[in-house]
Amino acid sequence: MVKIRKKTKAETLIPTASMSDIAFLLLLFFMVSTVFVRERGLKVNLPKAEKIEKIPRNHSATIYVSKSGMISIDDLEVEIPDVQWIMQKKYFDDFNVIACFRTDRDTNYGVMSDILNQLRYANTLRVSFEAKLKR
Amino acid sequence: MNLRRKRRWIGGIPTASMSDIAFLLLVFFLSTTRFDIKKGLGLVLPPASEEATQKVRLKEENITKILINKEGQILLRTFDGEEEIQMNQLEAKVRGIVRENPDMVISLKTDRKAKYQFMVMALDRLQAAGAEKISLSTN
Repeated sequence: MVKIRKKTKAETLIPTASMSDIAFLLLLFFMVSTVFVRERGLKVNLPKAEKIEKIPRNHSATIYVSKSGMISIDDLEVEIPDVQWIMQKKYFDDFNVIACFRTDRDTNYGVMSDILNQLRYANTLRVSFEAKLKR
Repeated sequence: MNLRRKRRWIGGIPTASMSDIAFLLLVFFLSTTRFDIKKGLGLVLPPASEEATQKVRLKEENITKILINKEGQILLRTFDGEEEIQMNQLEAKVRGIVRENPDMVISLKTDRKAKYQFMVMALDRLQAAGAEKISLSTN
């Protein structure tokens, strides 16, 4: 007599109940460990313009100029003659560097003109004047 | 005598929809978070070296000068003459000039005591007018 044995099927199951726990844990870990680089800069009121375009973030070096003519690069207060050396260093780090001006709208243009001259000597010829979109 | 076995109730919180909630939150934050994007007016400065500046010698008729004084008044000086204009006229004027002569260099001269805002507004108008050769200088 042929013995007919019932085949036992092994059920395979991956427990997914704790999946969300893992997801949350990862999320929390990255939320806690991520540090955003945030420049404090100077307090400025940007001017308004219409024909503005995006500035590629990875090439930009921000120069803050306040209403009183204070200049800050990388959260460091600098004088006008120092701008050349700092920007030259940035230029050698990245040849496509764009100097982004965050200048207060009431700043005297003379300060800006001096900085622009410094940039020319530093060979950082691509500049961008940050502005808010005029509506 | 009541000898019924007591039924034990094991309490539980349903966790099946937990991941749905997590994803919902994730999508919400993904769609609402905005990184501050830098936007501004781009410009390329002329190099400072002497040999480069000496090469460029422009004809007088190819230069249009726009002068801004410290009060923000604008003077448009072309080869033919000069006139005082308002900020809202600047775009139309420059558009006409550039259309007539695409090689025209627009020289934007701003007083050292003028506010930066005037220069940015003028530069904005020039770029809106389609001027490609813009030079900045001070008075």
